[in-house]
Amino acid sequence: MPRYAMIIDAKKCVGCYACQVACQMQNELGPENAYIRFEDRETGKYPNPKYVMVPLQCQHCQDAPCVPVCPTTASHKDKNGLTMVDKDKCMGCRRCVPACPYNARTYLKDEGIVQACNMCLSLVKQGEEPACVSTCLTKARYFGDLDNPKGEFAKQLAKAKQLRPDFGTKPTLLYII
Amino acid sequence: MWANKFPRRTFLKATAATAAAVGAGDVFSLGEWMKQASAAPVTKIPSLCETCSAACGMWVHVKNGRIWKVTGQKDHGQSKGKLCARGHAGIAQAYHKDRITHPMKRVGENDFVPITWEQAYSEIAAKLKKVLQEHGPDKVFFSHNPRPTNAFYWPRLMAAVGSSTIQSHHSMCSTGRDVAYKWTTGGMATADLGNTKYIVFLGRNYVEGLSPSSAAGMEAAYAKGTNIIVVDPRHSNACLFATEWVPIRPGTDLALLLAVANVLIAENLYDKEFVDEWCVGFDEFKKGMKDYTPEWASSVTDIPAATIYAIARGLGKNRPASCIEQGYKAPNGCNYANGTQMFRMVACVNALLGNYGKAGGMKFGNPPKLGSLDAKKHPAPPKPKAKRCDGVGIKGEFPLCQPNQGIVHMMPQRALEGKAKAGFLYRINVARNAPQPELLTKGYKALDLFVVCDIKWSESAMCAHYVLPECSAAEREDLPTVVGAAVTMRTAAIDVVHSETKPLPEIVTELAGHMGLGKYFNFTREDVAAAMVKPLGVTLEDLRTKGTVKVKAPAAKPLGFNTKSKKIEMYCQAFADHGYKPVPEWEPPYAKADKNSFVLIHGKQGFLSHTTSISDPYLLAVAKRGDLERLWINADRAKKMGIRDGDLVEVSSPQATRKVRVKVTERVHPEAAYLPAGYGRFAPFLKTGVGYGINPNDFTPCRAEAISGHAMMMEVTVTIRKVGE
Ligand code: SF4
Ligand code: SF4
Ligand code: SF4
Repeated sequence: MPRYAMIIDAKKCVGCYACQVACQMQNELGPENAYIRFEDRETGKYPNPKYVMVPLQCQHCQDAPCVPVCPTTASHKDKNGLTMVDKDKCMGCRRCVPACPYNARTYLKDEGIVQACNMCLSLVKQGEEPACVSTCLTKARYFGDLDNPKGEFAKQLAKAKQLRPDFGTKPTLLYII
Repeated sequence: MWANKFPRRTFLKATAATAAAVGAGDVFSLGEWMKQASAAPVTKIPSLCETCSAACGMWVHVKNGRIWKVTGQKDHGQSKGKLCARGHAGIAQAYHKDRITHPMKRVGENDFVPITWEQAYSEIAAKLKKVLQEHGPDKVFFSHNPRPTNAFYWPRLMAAVGSSTIQSHHSMCSTGRDVAYKWTTGGMATADLGNTKYIVFLGRNYVEGLSPSSAAGMEAAYAKGTNIIVVDPRHSNACLFATEWVPIRPGTDLALLLAVANVLIAENLYDKEFVDEWCVGFDEFKKGMKDYTPEWASSVTDIPAATIYAIARGLGKNRPASCIEQGYKAPNGCNYANGTQMFRMVACVNALLGNYGKAGGMKFGNPPKLGSLDAKKHPAPPKPKAKRCDGVGIKGEFPLCQPNQGIVHMMPQRALEGKAKAGFLYRINVARNAPQPELLTKGYKALDLFVVCDIKWSESAMCAHYVLPECSAAEREDLPTVVGAAVTMRTAAIDVVHSETKPLPEIVTELAGHMGLGKYFNFTREDVAAAMVKPLGVTLEDLRTKGTVKVKAPAAKPLGFNTKSKKIEMYCQAFADHGYKPVPEWEPPYAKADKNSFVLIHGKQGFLSHTTSISDPYLLAVAKRGDLERLWINADRAKKMGIRDGDLVEVSSPQATRKVRVKVTERVHPEAAYLPAGYGRFAPFLKTGVGYGINPNDFTPCRAEAISGHAMMMEVTVTIRKVGE
């Protein structure tokens, strides 16, 4: 069973928001719900500032704190190592939202359920890349299988690190910052 | 700085990512999430994005007759398989709440009634005939953003009417650049970014004023170690791919270029052979550059002299694989009073580098040629002889401005002066996107006849006597166009959403019929399209299935310059003849900051195309999530003024006072305040984005630069003070 993961090279992210909107369209979300959000950081002094934009989304943690808090088992780990929310089981109690230290979950008001990045599993099953990966203008995103890394994904894997490993949730999303 | 927004959620400021192995961990398998929510079949139809001028090739994925999403066409040179945020969001314009759904007639201030097409055509035709009878075709103008279909249809109708005043949006965009290159190199060459070793970007921002391919090109060039110098008062996101950010005092790029030329000549770093063979007026040029030392330029530009020497030497030593990138609106296509001469200097510095036609230098495009209708069967109207009402081509006014561009933003002023009487505006929003909106709206309303054809309501449409609704990109097929060595065409992905909207060819043809000019439109759009692609061996069916079809690239042309002398005119005789400086000299911009004021600069953000995007619900949400409408102020100056990040301030110029929140940052020159340009919509009929953010045009007077007539959109200083909530 493949273990799907993504590597995000934040040094290449230009903050164009293409991934965020592509994801909303792929997942048929309204404007106010996004699976991808951003934090930016500015360091240094004029005229030598440094700037980084970090795209954030569900980190598909191996020790996902959003799973045990779910009273209905809607929030679960699937066989590909992904953290998923079963739409039919989710009752919209939103306990998982604050449990996520990455603030990656969003409440879909109209449907009364919580969702987050699902790694575009429906596309992946058809042999395609997730929407945010295929549209990223600067190729800052790499999708692959941790158990069978190939191509660019394999090359970047050596450099990639977990974001805030101190949270202790063991993300499978990895970053180059 | 986001502390109040994400109280316990902000973690980037804390420890950065540290190395941690990805352990095997437990893999749960609690069942399948994916139930294939909707099993409805999806069809993919080729289209072209319509949210910016790149017009990326896209596939529209349609489910149950409705647009689901879009993906980029791989063979299209602008998209190369990708789309930006505007593209992903913009296709849903078809369903937008702010669409114009019927032909509308203005019956009072902000008061319109729907009318039939028949009534719209007959009333417009009658009123236009009246203007023609009373004033002749000299006082009729047409303004648009030329895209394949409208670039064919509207000018043909205007020619039939007898009007010569056909204008594009460029006087609010790149006219300074285009006029300069026309008279210096005979047209625009573009930087060969993929092969250059040393490139200087002056303000131009490939990752925020972007197409997917421009952003990708910059990333790739940086990754392979190209020297990329970004000169900009603002540390834009393009600086992520720059070897160096060189902050510059706003409006002084001309001084930097003069000094670069000075060093290239003084240190003998220029290409003497190229200059001898391809340039005229080098002696006068050399004499002109003599005093513009880096030490002089340093005091003007606020760039250290050593940096200016380093740039000149970097360019000189890497020539011919080095260049000054050609620019666009930035830094000076329409921004400062010294704009045209500044771009003449870009062309001249590139000439000193001998980089024209060379790998890594400046290259002229050589697109495949499309065909046209058989003129015998479909006679075109004669070329109109009317005098233009925007002063273009007229001695003493704007004799050297591009006739195909014109001076669009001055038409309301011309209307108030009685020099223009009837105007047609096709899908550009001058009233919001040019300086001094009060004057613009007043001027448009002063016309005897003002017709706006658009998809959504706009500030300009609110001024019109008649508003004609076009159907959106997803609903129509258009005329083909070339992109690189390929042909591409927008095809209709869905049925028309609002039954009373029409594609442009129908609108123009029917209006021409009512004007008694139907004989110039005895064909269908498909006839035109087929004639266009025929010489390239492509059929409309090919385009309808593949979207973009590669064709044979024309054979390479030998180097040549399409100027009067057939050479690069470092000394420009035409400029001398009309009383402009034939060799560029230093001219200061009008706007200069003092210790109480800032030059108000603006620029694009990658997810917005001017103000049209902010009325898209998805893009508005992007802006709101990130507070992206804020005014940037340099941290040191903000501190002295007692302004903190997120504070509300009042921004004032003699023309306007507005309130906006501040982003305090180290990423902007102390004398510049940067306001992103995509906000501040005020058309009362818009339901989305109105009143969010403020717009630089509110502060800037409506004027025309002396040579090319552009709008000088950054020639304004403002004062800023903190105010209470
Ligand atoms: S990032 Fe948040 S939602 Fe995703 S697995 Fe980790 S804790 Fe759960
Ligand atoms: S993988 Fe798919 S669902 Fe997840 S963030 Fe990317 S586009 Fe959205
Ligand atoms: S598409 Fe790529 S570059 Fe653009 S915001 Fe997303 S990660 Fe960053």
